[in-house]
Amino acid sequence: MTNRIDRRVLLRALIVLVVAAAAVTLLGALGSPAAASSTDAVAHATVAAGDATAGIAQADTAVHADAVTTEGDSGTNRYVQQLVNGIVFGLLLALASVGLSLIYGTTGLSNFAHGEQVSLGALLTFFFTTQQPVSVPFIPVEFTIGWPLIPSALAAIALAAGSGWLQDRFLWSPLRRRRVSIVQQMIVSIGLSLALLNFIQWWFGAERQRLTTSIDTRIDFGLFQVGQTTLWSVLISLLCLGGVAFFLLKTRTGRATRAVSDNPSLASASGIRVEKVVRLVWIMATGLAAVGGILLALYDNAAAFDVGARLLLLMFAAVTLGGLGQAFGALVGSLVIGIAVEMSTLWLGTDLKYAVALGILILVLLVRPQGILGRAERVG
Amino acid sequence: MDILLNSLASVFAPATAAFALAAIGLNFHFGLTGLLNMGHAGFMLLGMYGYAISTQNGAPIYVAVLVAIAAAAAFGLLLGWPTLKLRGDYLAIATISAAELIRYLGRSNSLQALTGGSTGIRGNDFKFTFEELSPLPSENITILFWTNHGSLSSSWWLHIVAWVTVGLFALLFWLLARSPWGRVLKGIREDEDAVRSLGKNVYSYKMQALVLGGVIGALGGVLWALGNSVQPDSMGRPTTFWLWTLLLLGGAATVFGPILGSMVFWASLVAIKGLASAFIPTSVLSPVELEPFSLVLVGITLMCLVVFRPQGILGNKRELAFND
Repeated sequence: MTNRIDRRVLLRALIVLVVAAAAVTLLGALGSPAAASSTDAVAHATVAAGDATAGIAQADTAVHADAVTTEGDSGTNRYVQQLVNGIVFGLLLALASVGLSLIYGTTGLSNFAHGEQVSLGALLTFFFTTQQPVSVPFIPVEFTIGWPLIPSALAAIALAAGSGWLQDRFLWSPLRRRRVSIVQQMIVSIGLSLALLNFIQWWFGAERQRLTTSIDTRIDFGLFQVGQTTLWSVLISLLCLGGVAFFLLKTRTGRATRAVSDNPSLASASGIRVEKVVRLVWIMATGLAAVGGILLALYDNAAAFDVGARLLLLMFAAVTLGGLGQAFGALVGSLVIGIAVEMSTLWLGTDLKYAVALGILILVLLVRPQGILGRAERVG
Repeated sequence: MDILLNSLASVFAPATAAFALAAIGLNFHFGLTGLLNMGHAGFMLLGMYGYAISTQNGAPIYVAVLVAIAAAAAFGLLLGWPTLKLRGDYLAIATISAAELIRYLGRSNSLQALTGGSTGIRGNDFKFTFEELSPLPSENITILFWTNHGSLSSSWWLHIVAWVTVGLFALLFWLLARSPWGRVLKGIREDEDAVRSLGKNVYSYKMQALVLGGVIGALGGVLWALGNSVQPDSMGRPTTFWLWTLLLLGGAATVFGPILGSMVFWASLVAIKGLASAFIPTSVLSPVELEPFSLVLVGITLMCLVVFRPQGILGNKRELAFND
């Protein structure tokens, strides 16, 4: 595929979009006259209550309700508020997707189990910080840990990064050595995600768990409001992302990582220890995912066992949008996805906001599969 | 004894047949053509919605089935048109997103009047046309050790229809796989460029396989819905992953692989839950934890299968679709 966007592909993408949009609108129109007023009222109430009705485990995050309900009472502007929310969400999402992108870049694996690393970070923090008695699977002893939030978070990040080391040492590295094909590895990661997801549910339960009981004080900036914790989260996220950028651009190991992403065999031939770089990337990726998970859980007030599973496709959308394997592309992609997801709630129901991201993902795959920052290469 | 009987009952339960049928569809995608369709649950969900909604609006049963088929075929065309030219893992990401998109739309409040939102559509609202066709008496019937109703819900009538359908589509798979058409698909699986150089339109063949497999998946969804209800969250990503597990377990690209895989999968799931609740004390593994525990085992099974025995129980090691 050349750098120039193929006109036929663009046309094809447009037609698919129009047909899909028409189908959805048609279905909506079919549905609404049947129970017009009542559904409208329900839909309205649900948006206001932040989707509280869909209260099963799989329900959408009931969180950004505050953003929706607080607009109006002060001088905040809905559009600016949602834009700010989007940037915050995008930055937090970027923490998780940078790792996914690094793994793809160095090993070629689309890691479907990356979402579970995000949930793991959040729920391990809950495990260390909660005042309730907790237990470990298969061991019928309950105990209370109840550390303060920050040491718990650090312990959780360390454990999560350790899980990345374990995975690469005992699963992925042997698979690479056995020359198991990349598609097989991808299905292995799907199996791992299924196992981890249920393991996390088994360990921490199916309820949404709160990491902290304190209520976030909101700071008013005139056009928009941001919580204090959220500001700290953004700061931490920026620091981490800056650290990754510094590592990739300025350090020897970082340059080696980029060399491995570029061409593993060439890197190996020029004396870079590819396996060591990949091991480091796994540790970094899982650690960053845990940081992202913790910050997202603070931003959303709570985390459930499937929070990462729901974010996984958003991460894929962000990474694909930025260009698979491009670490900085993942940042750009995450910001775009974050803003698109939060802004879409101005027009669509909150329960459809993740659908918007998936729509963008499919659109990107149609028009420019190599992503915004990706190199033009043959992907078909 | 109960554990054994329950496991045996799940070997021929309608849900097993529904998953076997959907896995036959996936076998057309992956086993024959090598397409990495990670959104098969989306096809099933569309089939369920198509059938249930048209029945609710007064359509007779054959029209409802046709609507289910048409919905899945349209989805397959729409999905395959832009994505079938992409590399394997892109196709996987695109299909999984499209399937999730359908689930999000189905459970969204904006379509609640049509799809019932996140609660879905109750079984009583759409099962009656199928149950009225039942020639069996409307009472509980006991055969050997198992008692089921004659014609309501998970009935003997549904058992018969489900397994006859599975048999017919297994026959179809057998006939198509050994036809010239099937040989082209296998050629695409082995080496796309070689087939292209022989003058075959690879894109069109892939599209035919995607639509056909998707339609079979939708019929599997209809069978599932007839035994349960239409619930969007029951057709999420895990369902697709179960389908992959049972297809790889039985053996991809084989006629009886999906059927055997489905039987073994469900029987062992029931057996594991039964054994675990009987022998592991509740202080170690409470009843709530049984479900995740057994699904952890499913995930590990999938990983081990792919690495150590990718051809499954019945498969042939040379006939593998993993060369991408």
